[in-house]
Amino acid sequence: IKLISDAGFQGEITSISTAAQQLEVFSRVLKTSIGSFLTNPEEWQKTSRECAKMVCHGQHTYVYSQVIMNVLAREPKGGSSMKRLSQEITKCAQKSGHDITPITMALNGASAYPQACQALTSMLCRNTLNPADISVLFRNYSALDPPPIDLIRTPQFLELLIDSLFKSGVKLNPEHKPKYIYLLAYAASVWEAQVKKGQKRCLNKEDLKPTVQAIETVHNVCNINKGSSELMAELANLYQCLRFPVVAVGIVRWVECTVTEPSYFKLSTEHCPLHMAMLDEVVNNHALLHNQVLDLLIRLFESKQDELEILVQLEMRKMVLDRMVSLLCAGCVVPVVKYIKQCWQKGDTDISLIRYFVTEVLEAIGPPYSSEFVHLFMPMVENDEITGTMRGDGENDPVSEFIVYCKANYSAII
Amino acid sequence: MANVRDSDTSLWLHNKLGISNDSWTGGSICSQLNAEVLRNIKDCFPDLQTQVKLKLLLSFFHIPRRNTEEWRIELEQILDVAVSDSELWVAMLGEALKTYPSVGSLNTEIADLDEVRPIFTDLITDLRKLVKKQADHVMLPMECHYLNKGALTSVVGQQPAPIKHFTLKKKPKSALLRAELLQKSSDVALNLKKS
Repeated sequence: IKLISDAGFQGEITSISTAAQQLEVFSRVLKTSIGSFLTNPEEWQKTSRECAKMVCHGQHTYVYSQVIMNVLAREPKGGSSMKRLSQEITKCAQKSGHDITPITMALNGASAYPQACQALTSMLCRNTLNPADISVLFRNYSALDPPPIDLIRTPQFLELLIDSLFKSGVKLNPEHKPKYIYLLAYAASVWEAQVKKGQKRCLNKEDLKPTVQAIETVHNVCNINKGSSELMAELANLYQCLRFPVVAVGIVRWVECTVTEPSYFKLSTEHCPLHMAMLDEVVNNHALLHNQVLDLLIRLFESKQDELEILVQLEMRKMVLDRMVSLLCAGCVVPVVKYIKQCWQKGDTDISLIRYFVTEVLEAIGPPYSSEFVHLFMPMVENDEITGTMRGDGENDPVSEFIVYCKANYSAII
Repeated sequence: MANVRDSDTSLWLHNKLGISNDSWTGGSICSQLNAEVLRNIKDCFPDLQTQVKLKLLLSFFHIPRRNTEEWRIELEQILDVAVSDSELWVAMLGEALKTYPSVGSLNTEIADLDEVRPIFTDLITDLRKLVKKQADHVMLPMECHYLNKGALTSVVGQQPAPIKHFTLKKKPKSALLRAELLQKSSDVALNLKKS
């Protein structure tokens, strides 16, 4: 194995257990894997999954790889990609049932703050929050010299806070609830202003109060199952609060839990239920949440919905496609088009749905187009099965207009 | 007598840690550790199987903090033996854990071991080049989704403008729906107030 590796054929070493036996060979395979993650940003989900599988082979490979990624994450230029990879791998390890919290805490600088470290460790290990540890953190973070913000920005902790505050029906002790809200708002809004070396760090808390208020308002709506008219009355208010990214994350979580209930669409009477419309507002305000919303839309689009009649099912999927078009118009272009294209190529999606998507997109957009978009979208527009019935005799319909324009301007790529 | 104890400890460790090939360890041995057992472990450490050595070192993560402090000297003595192990994985892990008993965090500067250092530094150097080269296509850490604008900029700086793939000539259906819903919302709110 070492000879194969020495000759430079890392890709040939497919068995992780073989590669992991020697530190030197593992290091090379790890380099190839991290390299593949860095150089294919569009394939990050696949490459990070593959890297995680390798890293999590053993606890020793996990510790070694996390140390490597921790060093690289400190690079001022580009280091954040490594932090993300490290977080993705941490998440995978947790999903596989490994208890990696002590390793994470031994790398994030928490040990200098024993109280906060212990409180966080105890909650992260059990993957559940509790009032006693939350109170410790609350005390620490309301003190004059709080621990670094990064500690409570641990993704798993933020997710747990979001779940406690925005999933409907979760009961929190009213006495402790403000502490949960404070910690989440603190993590989302407070930042350390740049100071010169040797000076005391200076915290900017300008946004803390409005963020606390917004979380509180939306929590009160999401926590109780409100009737549709009560919810409708709150809409303007919700849209206002949703401008805070952390609230938007919470709303997406709440919507996710609500609309993935098996009978949600069966009981819904509106063409576009209110929860789904809120996703439009999220994507129009928060580009960073595009992927998360797309994942939810894909799950809904592919969900069975057996309880609905066939025609109602089609209508429901068209409503999901409307949301995808809205997402595309908000700037999440390549992932949306790639997904629909893949649905078409796999051949398991009703062709009328692909046609609906193409029609809606063509109606909303105009030139100039990016070459990448033309390259991705053109094959669907040109396909007779999809757009045959949409073309008129002349060249005045959107399909022909798109094709003629692109043929004239992008001949090199089509 | 010491020899008997050594072989007992060694047998115990093999029985506890040497059975499966999986190096993930739940730390089940931690409850049976104490300063004396740790001293015995140090003595028999060089003769343990590689797998057992690795698992033993990894179980340190599961020792409660107060015990780590109490047994700091014993743990550090084991790590001292580990860093001179001929198996590089064991030496590397020993080096990474060097600071753990005293400060609770890992040593990320693997610089003291002649055999491990080049592997570690070469890997870091090569990857660092790649990280810099790809700096235009950064992925943001997960927590960034939650951050307000000021906090986000303080963490990752200004974000580049997204690529424009087309011009919007008409607002999508959702824009119309939004206006309708907001109108309806204020109507309903007004009615609720009245009633």
